[in-house]
Amino acid sequence: MTEQRTQESPGDGVSTINYALAINHAMAEEMRRDSRVWILGQDVGRMGGVFGVTRGLLDEFGPLRVRDTAINETFIVGAAAGAAMTGTIPIAELQFADFMLIAGDEIFGKLAKWRYMHGGKLSLPAVVRVPTGLLGGVGAEHSQSLEVLGMHFPGVKVVLPSTPADAKGLLKSAIRDPNPVLFFEHKGLYRVKGEVPDDPEFLVPFGVAAVRRRGDALTVIATGMMVDRTLAAAEVLAREGHEVEVIDPRTLVPLDMDTILESVQRTGRAMIVHEAVRTAGAGAEIASRIHEELFFALDAPVWRLGASDTPIPQDPELEQLCIPQVPGIAEAMRGLIAL
Amino acid sequence: MASSAPRKRAAPVKTEVDATRATDLYRTVARIRAAELVLQRHITEHGFGGFWHPGLGQEGVQAGAVAALRTDDYMFIAHRGLGYALAKGMSLESLFGDLFARTVGSTGGKGGGTVHFVDPERGVLGQGGAIGSSFVLGAGAAISGQMLGTDRVCAIFFGDGASSRGTWHESALQASVWKLPIVWICENNGWAVSARISEQSPTENIADRASAYGVPGVIVDGQDAIAVFDAVTEAVDRARAGHGPTLIEAKTMRIRGHYEGDRQKYRDDLLVGDEIPRDPLGILREHVPASVADQLDDDARHEAESVLATVLEAPRADPSIIYKDVWS
Repeated sequence: MTEQRTQESPGDGVSTINYALAINHAMAEEMRRDSRVWILGQDVGRMGGVFGVTRGLLDEFGPLRVRDTAINETFIVGAAAGAAMTGTIPIAELQFADFMLIAGDEIFGKLAKWRYMHGGKLSLPAVVRVPTGLLGGVGAEHSQSLEVLGMHFPGVKVVLPSTPADAKGLLKSAIRDPNPVLFFEHKGLYRVKGEVPDDPEFLVPFGVAAVRRRGDALTVIATGMMVDRTLAAAEVLAREGHEVEVIDPRTLVPLDMDTILESVQRTGRAMIVHEAVRTAGAGAEIASRIHEELFFALDAPVWRLGASDTPIPQDPELEQLCIPQVPGIAEAMRGLIAL
Repeated sequence: MASSAPRKRAAPVKTEVDATRATDLYRTVARIRAAELVLQRHITEHGFGGFWHPGLGQEGVQAGAVAALRTDDYMFIAHRGLGYALAKGMSLESLFGDLFARTVGSTGGKGGGTVHFVDPERGVLGQGGAIGSSFVLGAGAAISGQMLGTDRVCAIFFGDGASSRGTWHESALQASVWKLPIVWICENNGWAVSARISEQSPTENIADRASAYGVPGVIVDGQDAIAVFDAVTEAVDRARAGHGPTLIEAKTMRIRGHYEGDRQKYRDDLLVGDEIPRDPLGILREHVPASVADQLDDDARHEAESVLATVLEAPRADPSIIYKDVWS
């Protein structure tokens, strides 16, 4: 396999691979394990996906299990929903998370509701993989972070992996989950490498946040590509004598509020950093819950950092100015600790 | 290879009609009709918590088409009536139970309308609350059937109104290219809520579009259950044999409003009186002895009345059902 040439093997059942390949391995392993698992989407077959994530899967599993569709997002997700309710496990790939809106009824009307509406007689074990976030010049209709939509429509789970290992382990959990899952894989992380367990039974459970860094001065909850930026900002603050705790929820539905609340109870301060638009983003919900649960334990109001209330301009320099940067995150951390 | 113009099926010749088939269809149409009328009366007299979209006069399409399916074939129903689900073998109690949100309903009391009817064991998979959303779902069910190694066919019912959705276009193209085992059954009753078919379609027939998708288009008299049965049987056989989907357009008529209670002020072709022109029961009577047909009418009426009484006495679900079945 050509893929293996890109792998480095540190041994002990761990490979250093990038985030895209980790997702690829998760699908390949689950398709080997369970013949009911299949893939559909535009260019997922012969091309291996616009971002190369499904590369090699058509050769291994054939055209009935790796289906190249026309340009028809509504069909892609709708057929996935129909297939899920009749005993197979589809993985639908949309080329950009923005296109969820083209399949809005199929995601939020069908996948999210049809088990409920039908008294539990249907199950919808489908995964919708949606490449999310900024990539660098792909424009206002290809750059959005829309994960909060999944939080607003009860019935779908929402996953946002920030590392290659989580991408693999969470996707495998998503494929095995009997519920529909929106899997937000960050386009900007596809080429980031990390150590990923080879064990085909390696799973990352939903609803369990990862504490990426321990600290006592402030709790920062960060998602997706903002996790690495927040960790970089926390390094800066550490040099200034402030230890910041960084929590990556990994899944927004279900959301591990226990880990977040336990941390904020200790630090007394909290901030949420996400790439989605700040207004009515996931951060607004998390901040509200912290305020409701821990009002008297807080030393300061909960802050939120997110994208500007604007569409994303297509220029790569301008687009970065729309979302949180390391210096800005560090500055906000200083400001909140000083309150 | 699909021909460029849809094929119009001729009415069945009386002498060639299978007497048992005709009697079975008569029984089904009579049961649907009795259920329609008992619901109509109840809703007129007592009101109703949900919305009921009557299928009165369209029972011939529903009974004829479903009779051409196997019990394990998948089916996505349309919203006009309960005939599809009843014909597929769901009990009248479970359907009335859904309409009146009783625990005996197929959804255990979530109820409220036709979109909730479901019975996976009999292939009844539901109906989209967004009209025309079943096209894409049905394609997925057809793919599952293939992948699981079965020869199940998926029937997708829809109205002339739904044929305007983009979901139709996307599904028709992809299903045709992949030769999915699907039969699309369009109940063209001439009205999409308040819009005439002539205001929605530049061509007279929905089936005219079939050739553009490379599938056969068939026009059939929807009031003639036997003709519908024959047309759908041919399409099902074709789908099961791996030759792909067929578009069947059954010409029928909307007797009642979009929903029961709709005053239909937008309509200039309203019928006067209770008579249903080209009544599917009357057409079937040409093939069924009068005494048998009379008995089936009586049985159906008795069933509908007694089941409605039973269902109205059945309990409603505990409010905790609100939180049930959000997740598997």
